[in-house]
Amino acid sequence: MTDIRVDSVSKRYGKHVVLDDINFRIKSGEVVAIIGPSGSGKSTLLRCINYLEPPNSGIIAVGDLQMDCEARPANTDLDRLRRTVGMVFQSFNLFPHLTVLRNVSLAQERVLKRPRKEADERSMELLRRVGLADKSEQYPSRCSGGQQQRIAIARALALDPKAMLFDEPTSALDPELGLEVLTVMRELAETGMTMIVVTHEMRFAENVSDRVIVMADGRIIEHGESAAIMRSPQTARTQQFLHAVRDR
Amino acid sequence: MAGNFWSILAGVPLTIALTFLAFAVGAIFGFPIWMMRMAKTRPVRLTATGFILAFRSIPPIVWLFLIFFGVGSGDISLSPFISAVIGMGLITAANMAEIYRGAYAGLDIGQTEAATALGIRTYHRFRDVIVPQMLRTALPSAVTFAIGLLKDTSIASLIGVQEVAFQVNALAQRTFTGFDIYVIAALIYVAISLPFAVIARWADLTLRLRVAR
Repeated sequence: MTDIRVDSVSKRYGKHVVLDDINFRIKSGEVVAIIGPSGSGKSTLLRCINYLEPPNSGIIAVGDLQMDCEARPANTDLDRLRRTVGMVFQSFNLFPHLTVLRNVSLAQERVLKRPRKEADERSMELLRRVGLADKSEQYPSRCSGGQQQRIAIARALALDPKAMLFDEPTSALDPELGLEVLTVMRELAETGMTMIVVTHEMRFAENVSDRVIVMADGRIIEHGESAAIMRSPQTARTQQFLHAVRDR
Repeated sequence: MAGNFWSILAGVPLTIALTFLAFAVGAIFGFPIWMMRMAKTRPVRLTATGFILAFRSIPPIVWLFLIFFGVGSGDISLSPFISAVIGMGLITAANMAEIYRGAYAGLDIGQTEAATALGIRTYHRFRDVIVPQMLRTALPSAVTFAIGLLKDTSIASLIGVQEVAFQVNALAQRTFTGFDIYVIAALIYVAISLPFAVIARWADLTLRLRVAR
């Protein structure tokens, strides 16, 4: 079981408080969407969970691995954390000098120490799963944004993570290309993957995720079952935000 | 006249060897200096900064004299050629360190983040992700520097390396003809630079296709 627990996590840049006492738990297999206005700390929260941005205080626990944010993290813990939690970025961040196949294989060889042949086989399997097996020998620059993001998902899945973090995975894509990424994510959710998705895709938040967390000004202002929050938000700030998003 | 031409041409192999070796020394030693330049420890960083400052601001001719007459005349004896390779090599290293620094600064931070999020540790992050991309960005500036280096090797004639400029000088003094001989020398330098520039341009274009931004 790989539950995720975030206990009174705070993050500051100098005096500026970006995350203020964040608390939540996610059960294994749950899909949680984090929504909220820009600058509310959604992405920072996600990046704190895999220590891309080390929090200043609190506890992050993934499965039986527990990170005390005030202590200097041990390298072995960081390795375990990143192997357990995969991440997908808004701007894909594929390695432009490597073929699609090598993009997916690299971490398997360097982190899991899989032999190249075995890694490449596993990569092909994952590329088939995201519908891009025919692109394996291309360079990323030859792929569309939607394809690049699906490759990035395959790359993150290659370490066999127990949970996946998505940082606005469709924000850099036009609606049609975004849809093919959302489809892959929906399929992934159906396999029982634990997922935390920072997103502006309200339909995804409502239909695919089990729960929604609403953030504003570095705090969680609302948290609950997707349908309930999306249909009858309790706080005025959430109502205002959902109106703004839907009226576009 | 033809005889003159051949005697100048005799300097070409040394000019090329000196350029090539100095560049190799610089491209390799530039790496540790660049890394020291980025180090978190202040003394290490200052050492690298001092090295870069010294080798970039003191003219090559002074370095060659310092190395050849200074270091090379003590217990260790250095041939003119070796002194020139060391001097020009260290100057190149200082410049390459700066070129690497620029290339690294130009890299998208997302590349580092993606590798980190995948659990790829520092050594492999640099070897497999950062450095290959840096080398591609560094290529045009490195070639520009290499062509400058080719011309600067003429300074080695002053400590007695018998390369193109040395041959030209010797010939000019022997025959009391200046202009023609120096025109030939000029053409020889152009002829050596051209293939460099062409190959670099080709490599830059091919690599850019992959690392499209």
